[in-house]
Amino acid sequence: MKKSDNCCVSAALATATCALLGTGPHGAVQAQEEHAWEFDSALLYYGEDKGRVQDISLNVLARRNFLDDKVLSLGLAVDTLTGSTPLGATPLDGPQTVTSPSGKKTYSMPPNEIPLDPSFLDTRVAFTASWEQPFARLNTLNAGISFSDEYDYTHAGVNLTLSRDFNKRNTTASLGLSAARDDWSPVGGTPDPLSPMLDVGDLSNRGPDDSKDIFDVVLGVTQVFSRNLVGQLNYSYSNSSGYLNDPYKILSVVDPVTGDPIPPTPPSGIEGPSHIYLFEGRPDDRTKHSLYGKLKYYLSGKVLDVSYRYMTDDWEIDSHTLDARLRFPLSDRSYLEPHLRYYTQTHADFYRVSLVNGEPLPQYASADYRLGEFDAITAGIKYGWQSRSGHDLSVRLEYYMQDGDAPAEQIVGRQADQDLYPDLDAIIFQFSYSFGL
Amino acid sequence: MKPERAVKLQRKSHYWLASFTAMGSPCELLTEESDESLAQKLLHSVSYEAWRIEDKFSRYLRGNIVDRINRSHGVALTVDDETANLLDFAQTLHELSEGRFDITSGVLREAWTFDGSDNVPSRRQVKALVDRIGWDKVCWHRPRLLLRAGMQIDFGGIGKEYAVDRAATIAADISPASSLVNFGGDLVVTRPPSENGGWRIGIETPGIDARQAGRLIRLQRGALATSGDENRYLLKDGVRYGHILDPRTGWPVPSVPRSVTVAADSCTQAGMLTTLAMLKGADAEEFLAEQGVQHWVLR
Repeated sequence: MKKSDNCCVSAALATATCALLGTGPHGAVQAQEEHAWEFDSALLYYGEDKGRVQDISLNVLARRNFLDDKVLSLGLAVDTLTGSTPLGATPLDGPQTVTSPSGKKTYSMPPNEIPLDPSFLDTRVAFTASWEQPFARLNTLNAGISFSDEYDYTHAGVNLTLSRDFNKRNTTASLGLSAARDDWSPVGGTPDPLSPMLDVGDLSNRGPDDSKDIFDVVLGVTQVFSRNLVGQLNYSYSNSSGYLNDPYKILSVVDPVTGDPIPPTPPSGIEGPSHIYLFEGRPDDRTKHSLYGKLKYYLSGKVLDVSYRYMTDDWEIDSHTLDARLRFPLSDRSYLEPHLRYYTQTHADFYRVSLVNGEPLPQYASADYRLGEFDAITAGIKYGWQSRSGHDLSVRLEYYMQDGDAPAEQIVGRQADQDLYPDLDAIIFQFSYSFGL
Repeated sequence: MKPERAVKLQRKSHYWLASFTAMGSPCELLTEESDESLAQKLLHSVSYEAWRIEDKFSRYLRGNIVDRINRSHGVALTVDDETANLLDFAQTLHELSEGRFDITSGVLREAWTFDGSDNVPSRRQVKALVDRIGWDKVCWHRPRLLLRAGMQIDFGGIGKEYAVDRAATIAADISPASSLVNFGGDLVVTRPPSENGGWRIGIETPGIDARQAGRLIRLQRGALATSGDENRYLLKDGVRYGHILDPRTGWPVPSVPRSVTVAADSCTQAGMLTTLAMLKGADAEEFLAEQGVQHWVLR
C-alpha cells in the first residue's frame, strides 16, 4: 500500500508542475554523472581451434577528468599468448623436421598437416598514457605515449592529435600524427632474409637485433548531420621501414614437378632440418593508405553503427572491411548488440606458397598466411547492462572464421592434394566492467 | 533593505556568464548564445523574473501577497492566478507527502533556530506551534483563501525552483541557443548544448571544501536540484537536531541525508522530490528509487 503510494508521487508531481507552470517541460531530462576517475576494464579470451593461438588479456584504462575539461588517461594491458602458429612451410605426406628458432634443437611435425611452430609462448605488457586539453576555444590537443614489451619485441611510440570544431560544433576536423620505434631481438638472433635454415648449433646466418620505424598520419572529419545521424570519415597514411620480417617464418623449397619439399643433399650428418627451408624476406618499406567511413544512426533507443574501411598498400595488399552493429535496448538498464563483420584481402605481391627449386630466387618472399589472400567473417553478440549503482557491465561472444586460398598459379604438383592455406576458426569472449569513483 | 540589484555579464570560452543575486542566493545564467545583445536581453529578462518572483512571494517583504495573507487575521482573501496556482500546487504536495510538506509550517521558526547551540525548545513550546500548522486547517476554494488567525504561509520551499523554471521558459523563448539557469544550485538546461556531452555541473558536498566539487554531472537538458543538511543543527546532550522539521510533530526528521540531488524534467519536480526525500529521513533512498528518477544521496 505504502509502496504504491510512493510510486504515484512522481507522476502526480509531473501533472501538478504542468498546471503550475502552464507549460510542459522542455523535454525529458538527460543527465549523466561524470566521475573524477573512470575505469574501464576488460578480460578477453581469444582462442583459435586445432591447438593454435590462445590469448588471454587483461586491459585496464583509467581516466581522470578535471573540471576544466582536461583529461589524463592511463592504460595497462597484460597479454598471455600460448599455442602454436603456422611456420610457413608446406605440408607433406611424410614427417618434417625443423631447427628451433634458438638453433639448439629440432622438432618434428606429423605428415599431412600444416607445419606449426609449437614453441610459441609469450607475455606482453603494454602501457599507454595520454593528456587531453582544450585550447583557444574550439581546439583540443591530445598527446600520448605508448610502450610495450615482450621477450623478443619492444615498442615505444608517441602520438599527437589536434582537433578543431567548426560550424557551431557540428563539424570536427582532426589531424593525428604518430611515430613509433619497434625493436626485434629474436631468439637465436635475426636470420638473414631468404637464407637457409641451418643445422643445430650453426648460427652463422643470424645477425644482430633489428628494428623498424613506423610513422602514421590520420586526417579525420566528424559531422553531426542531425540529432539522429553522425558520420565520420578518416584518411590515414602509414609508413613502416626497417626490419619488417617475422623472424620465425620460413618457406619450403619444393621440387618443380612433384611439389614436395626437397631434402638437403648430401645429408650433413648433423641434427638439422629434414628439408630445405628459407627464412622469409620482405621489403624493408611499406606504405599503406586507408579510407574509413562510419555512420551512426539513432532511432528510438536503437543505435545502428555501420562502417567500411578500404586499405591499399605498396605490397599490393588491398583489403575491405564492412562492419555493422545494432544496439537495441531490452530495458532501461540493458541492451543486446549483434555484430557482423566481413573482411577480405588480396595477397602481397611477394606472397609465395613455396619456393621452387631451380627457379631464380625472388628478391622478396613470404609464406606468412597473414599476407595471403583470405576472407574472414566475425559474427557475435554483446549483452550489456548497468547496475543500480551506475556500473556498466557487458559480455561479448564472437565467432571468427578465416578462410583463405593459395594462389592457383603457385600450386605445384602434389601440393594440390594438400591443404596449403591454414584456415582458422576462433572464439572471442570478453567481459567488460566500467565504473567511476 | 533590499540587496543591491546589479547584474554582471562576462564572456567565457564559448558562452556568456551572467551573475546576480536573488532570493538570497547567487544566481547565474550561462548561455551559448553568441550574439551579445541577445545575451544581454537574456540576462535582463531572467534576472527581472527572479526579482519579480522574490518581490511577490518573499515572506520578508511588507505589503506583498504573502504578507497580506499572513496578516489577514482569519478574513478570507481573493488571490491572483499565479498565487492560486502556487496554492493549488502546495495543496497537491501536502496530499502527496501525507502532510510532511506543508506551506504553513514556517511558524516553527519561532521555536527553532538552528545556530549550532543547544537551544532545543520544550515539548510544550513545540506542541503550541503545531496547533497553528496544517494545510488541512486552511480553507482554500480557488480563488479565495481563508487562513486562521495565528497561521502563516511561506512559499520558501517552492519559490526558487518555480523561479528557475519560469526563467528557463523565458530564456528558451528568447534564444534558440542552450542556456543554463542556476539559482543557488537549483538549475535547468533549456536545450542540449552544442558542446559535446552537455553542461558540466559540479555539486558541492556540504561540509566539504567547495572547491572540491563532490560530483560532476553532465546535463544535456532538464533540471537538477539539491537539498542539503547545510550544517544547520542544534546539539544537546549528544543528540543532533537537524533543521528538516516534520510539520506533523514539529520535531526534526531523524536520519536525514546530508545531501540529496535529483535530476528531473523540470526544476520544480526535481526540487520537490529532493524535499520529499529529505522529509522521508531514513527512507529517502527507497523513496527516490521508487520514483524512477536519477538521484544522488549523500549520508
